[in-house]
Amino acid sequence: MNEARAVTIIMVEDDEGHARLIEKNIRRAGVNNEIIPFTNGTEALTYLFGADGSGEASAGRHLLILLDLNLPDMTGVDILEKVKSNVHTKRSPVVVLTTTDDTREIQRCYDLGANVYITKPVNYEGFANAIRQLGLFFSVMQVPETA
Amino acid sequence: MPISSNFFVRSTAALLVVGLLALLGILGTTLWLVEQTQHYFDEVVEAREARTATVDLRAALQDAETGQRGFILTLDERYLEPYNAARERVLPLYEVLSRVLAPYPQAAEPMQRLEQAITLKLEEIDETIALARGGQVADAVAVIHTDEGKALMDEARVFFDALIRAADQRLIEGVEDQRGSAIALRWITIIGAIIIVLVVGGSALTVVQYTRDLMAARREVEAANSGLEARVAERTADLGRANEEIQRFAYIVTHDLRAPLVNIMGFTSELEQSVVPIQRYMETRPEDDEDPALAEARLAAREDLPEAIGFIRSSTRKMDGLINAILKISREGRRPLRPERLDIAALLEGTASAIHHQVSENGGDIEIDIANPKLTSDRMSLEQVFGNLLDNAVKYRDKSRPLKIRVVGRDAPGNRIFIDVEDNGRGIAPQDHERVFELFRRSGEQSQAGEGIGLAHVRTLVRNLGGDITLTSELGVGTTFRVSLPRDLRAIVGSSAK
Repeated sequence: MNEARAVTIIMVEDDEGHARLIEKNIRRAGVNNEIIPFTNGTEALTYLFGADGSGEASAGRHLLILLDLNLPDMTGVDILEKVKSNVHTKRSPVVVLTTTDDTREIQRCYDLGANVYITKPVNYEGFANAIRQLGLFFSVMQVPETA
Repeated sequence: MPISSNFFVRSTAALLVVGLLALLGILGTTLWLVEQTQHYFDEVVEAREARTATVDLRAALQDAETGQRGFILTLDERYLEPYNAARERVLPLYEVLSRVLAPYPQAAEPMQRLEQAITLKLEEIDETIALARGGQVADAVAVIHTDEGKALMDEARVFFDALIRAADQRLIEGVEDQRGSAIALRWITIIGAIIIVLVVGGSALTVVQYTRDLMAARREVEAANSGLEARVAERTADLGRANEEIQRFAYIVTHDLRAPLVNIMGFTSELEQSVVPIQRYMETRPEDDEDPALAEARLAAREDLPEAIGFIRSSTRKMDGLINAILKISREGRRPLRPERLDIAALLEGTASAIHHQVSENGGDIEIDIANPKLTSDRMSLEQVFGNLLDNAVKYRDKSRPLKIRVVGRDAPGNRIFIDVEDNGRGIAPQDHERVFELFRRSGEQSQAGEGIGLAHVRTLVRNLGGDITLTSELGVGTTFRVSLPRDLRAIVGSSAK
């Protein structure tokens, strides 16, 4: 990933253990970008769209959003919908990383504009492997600047 | 008021009896009245006969007298003609009259007197005629002058008049009686007709009332039926919802259990990786028995930590397996069924071919006998059900004898089919017959790998198809699983309000 552009990874994950494991494995893949973790949807939305909710706050940022669907205060689908419908954040790639493997849920996320949908593998080796590969993927992908 | 069937039967029977009695009454009375009429008629005829005989007798007697008078006056034989004609008739006519009057004892005495009078009169007439013929006209006139003949004639005449009056009286009475019996007959007929009309009306009324009650009862039953159907549909919907809720609950719970499990497994791996450098470092330290802390740390790094981590790993792996099993079953319950027309015999052949080499390896065989293979159901579910059952038959065979599997399909009441999967395997102990269908429970010697979800899964699948599975088994002899399925899954799916 291009360091000069300073892509920030926004990680919305209510399980701190998962968050930590994800971060560790991304780092192991050689990704050193800043990771900002959020454990609930409200804080994440405030960061993304600012206190006024307009999305101006994200203007000029390079964001990559890692999103869990099971959050304590809302479902990740709500966040996805807001991100993809806001003019400032709609181009930011969103990776949905969650335990849910319900077909309808997956379809819905792609319909709403999710870029990648990954089901967390239950065994740790698979999980770690998936996250590392995701990290490798991050290191080559281009993230546009938000409008 | 509703009429009970008992009351209906009794009242109808009573009305019938009344109607029958009325009919019999009319018939009897009519017969009796006809008999009476016949009797009156006979009496009238008799009276007429008596009257006729009386009149004839009187006429004959008068003719005889007239002939006598004429002859004595004229001595002309011609005047004797009425006498001659009447003389012959008098006695036979008297006979007729006495025969007619024979049944009346009160007439016996006057008849005797009449006979006497007639006999005497005839004698007097004969005597005077004989005298006149002999030329003794004066003697004959003298005999007549004695008024004996006149007295006899008067007496006879009085008697005749009485008889005629009596006969007339009898005639009038007979006609009166006839009329009376005719009137009686008319009244009896009218009353009988009224009774019959009442009976018929009553019966008709009862029948109508009863039919109306029956109709009302039937409507009530129909209403109750439809209410029952509605209630059944409602309950089925409730059950469907409850089932869905349970499936959903299982799904959510397993998902939520997975998240911490990922952490446990993840950090266990991290821990394991962290132990490696510690162990390496420990190896670099010289063996120094003087330092107990170092020996303890070495022991922990070499043995305690790897052991603990090993147990954590094996436990989490087991838990992962269980969660996956629950997830599989809950997902199976949520999978939409796709009923299609299929040939269960062909499906079973296909499923059996997967285990065919395992069975024939040690001389066993599989026999499939399906009476009527037409079925509308979910193919994937059925393949899993019979795949599991056949796998179990192979897994739990009795090693001491060749495996024999029989799959028999027979029609069952209620448009269902029974498919029996019968083996000669090691069997299931009686106390485990229900247990084997429970999740994570297994029976007998744990000689085979498995999590104990196969039969639980099978039962979930079969019940989803509107069927059920039961087993009969004898330890050491074999097991028969009976799968009962509806012939048409659509009928089941359609009726549960989804």
